[in-house]
Amino acid sequence: MRSTNFCLSTEGADVILATSSDEKYPPENIIDGQSETFWTTTGMFPQEFVICFHKCVIISKLTIQCYLVQTLRIEKSMSKDPVDFEHCIEKDLEYKEGELQTEEFSFPEFQATHLRFIILSAFDTFVSVHRVIAEGIAQDI
Amino acid sequence: MVKLAAKCIVAGDPAVGKSALVQMFCNDGAHFQKNYTLTTGVELLVKTVPVPETSDSVELFIFDSAGMELFSEMLDKLWEQPNAACIVYDVTNEQSFNNCAKWLEKLRTQTSGVHIPGVLVGNKTDLIDRRVVEQKQAQEWAETSGLEYCEISVKEMENYEVPFHILANSFHQLYKEKVEIFHSLVNWKTGANQATDIKDL
Repeated sequence: MRSTNFCLSTEGADVILATSSDEKYPPENIIDGQSETFWTTTGMFPQEFVICFHKCVIISKLTIQCYLVQTLRIEKSMSKDPVDFEHCIEKDLEYKEGELQTEEFSFPEFQATHLRFIILSAFDTFVSVHRVIAEGIAQDI
Repeated sequence: MVKLAAKCIVAGDPAVGKSALVQMFCNDGAHFQKNYTLTTGVELLVKTVPVPETSDSVELFIFDSAGMELFSEMLDKLWEQPNAACIVYDVTNEQSFNNCAKWLEKLRTQTSGVHIPGVLVGNKTDLIDRRVVEQKQAQEWAETSGLEYCEISVKEMENYEVPFHILANSFHQLYKEKVEIFHSLVNWKTGANQATDIKDL
């Protein structure tokens, strides 16, 4: 079975919540499949966004491309609505000036309908999130 | 259009007029606090400031800190992750000016090397006869410390909006600079890079 990236608007995913919104750099840029476009935070941490798949998916690997993110927490939900989030992982990322952070998380397969990304702290006043990739196989709800 | 949000710390010695300034700014000059009340801990006020010549604005979360707390550890928690600093002194009180260095140092320990916009504010310029801190002296110290400078009289309602407009504009400028950097990160359309590799998925 071929693995899919579920964090794509073309796969039916939506960003249903984001705590910052600059209309030039909207959260939809995270799921447009491109690293060139990004979402910016516009001040004060923590900041977060929630991706909804509108179906239950099985994920085995998550990748996030971002810049200046320090502490990142990821949570998952298996509910139809964006509630009952459970802890997935929390990590302090490393950062090199001028280089996009590409962070991969491998897991034993888990089910999710929503993913929540919380940026708890940052290396600077603002951060960017360019792309999130959730690889796995789809399942009917 | 974007609305930025900044945590703005107002610091300085007791009775230099921090609360009077913040109150005056937040109620648009409607009311000058005649009676002195000592602030304890921190008071939070929120006001949105438009950025000139743009449709953008900055929502300032103004943390009016107690002047008595220079050496208190409680402030460390309340001051976490600041985005802008407003350090106030009284132009008739030399000690309050000298202590600005300590307030700035205390703020810098919170920023872990991140540059944040800051402004030094000399208040009570209406008390001309009692003035002891000269503008030149204060302005020079502000410059060497990487701060903007302005003089105000909250009582006479002079320039009381200026410090916050300076901070909002600097914060907006900082955002624009960061966005430019974010753009420059992914100019790697040629060659086999991670960004282009992952795109195939």
